Amino acid sequence: MADEIRRLSDDLARDPSSLVFMPLADALRRAGQLDLAMRVALRGLDRHPYVADAHDVLARIHADRGDLERAADEWEMTLRLDPSHEQASLGLGFVDFRRGNFEQAEVRLAAARDGDPGVATALAHVRSALAARSAGARVPASGFDVPAGAVVQPAAVPTPAPNGNRSTASERDTPAVATPAPSRITEYPPPDPTRTRQLFAPVLDGDDQMAVLVDADGLVLAGRYLDATGSDVSDIVAAELAGVSSEAERAMRHLGLGAWTSLLVEADQSVVAMTPAPMGSLMVVAASRQTPVGLVRLLLDRALTRARDWLARVS
Amino acid sequence: MMKSPYAELLAVLSRHRGVVGSFVVSERDGIAIDSNVQIGVHAEAVAALAASLHRKARLACGAAGCGQVTFLRLDAERGGICAAGRDDLVLVTISEARANIGLLRVEMMRAAKALT
Repeated sequence: MADEIRRLSDDLARDPSSLVFMPLADALRRAGQLDLAMRVALRGLDRHPYVADAHDVLARIHADRGDLERAADEWEMTLRLDPSHEQASLGLGFVDFRRGNFEQAEVRLAAARDGDPGVATALAHVRSALAARSAGARVPASGFDVPAGAVVQPAAVPTPAPNGNRSTASERDTPAVATPAPSRITEYPPPDPTRTRQLFAPVLDGDDQMAVLVDADGLVLAGRYLDATGSDVSDIVAAELAGVSSEAERAMRHLGLGAWTSLLVEADQSVVAMTPAPMGSLMVVAASRQTPVGLVRLLLDRALTRARDWLARVS
Repeated sequence: MMKSPYAELLAVLSRHRGVVGSFVVSERDGIAIDSNVQIGVHAEAVAALAASLHRKARLACGAAGCGQVTFLRLDAERGGICAAGRDDLVLVTISEARANIGLLRVEMMRAAKALT
């Protein structure tokens, strides 16, 4: 197990954008390193939010931690992304079983595709529990454990589809090439002028979304902002936003409403959201006017998380 | 005493749940033209800061080719500020966390169109 974890960590260090994080997180889970497994899975999902297997792995980690509610959320997300995902059906059946909803568990498992021995075994346990309850006998508390899950294989990095969304069709089919690499998990590019411009690309969902991290003096730290013609206007946007943090802070101090958390600007063509980031910086995210405002705020949260990690690493 | 042309508009906004103040401010110099605020709210200072924020947002959006700013919302732990502008005038509300921002936003954007 330790060798497997080391090898997968090396693979991930060699190619942080790969899907190796899935088998790594699962291996860590099976080794009982749940906190680390969770961290690896969440970082992976930060880059690959539309990979069904990744949500399945995270669900199993939650289940192992005893957090059935979050496990169910992740398995439901898995099924939204891939309605034929049997492990997710098995997982939700497990949650129903643990909650005592045997009928619902039976319906869910029976609807799963035939042929999976794990589903068949789980279904047998559920039916046994149902029969025991009908007969007034003691219902076995165990017999249906957290789904072990299929061996998750790393796959190619999803590429943006023509419509701007991530493709998922072939994400589980291409095995990664394993070659020796330094044994550490790293995901953020070093402060290289060209690579830092792409820092937020993994957390954005389309070409119409942009993110830029601006320092307290109105200088660009990372990310970029392109206008409608494709010209990079990051510097001028950053300069115009210099001082927003301090003014927002002053306004809130006068009103006694606590620290400011976000500033949302709706314009004719775009929705721009910003929030205070570490070291007096400002995280700015923009999206087209068609993007729901709630989604823009979600993107802002994701970009901020990435900015925090990156700043902690480079500062 | 003669009422300002914005008195009724501000009174309507101030009746929204959680709204503790509303005012019309000049974006250029940050001076409040009319206000309807509860006692204890530092209307002048907040008006100036809200106008300044609106100006910064407008300039940044102009630089980025985003077009005209239609609505601005500054959120804080226990409330926030909303602003909707037209030409040099900016309509600003101060609200607590319990305010219905969606409803307030619609009302403010409608009212901002009438600012002259």
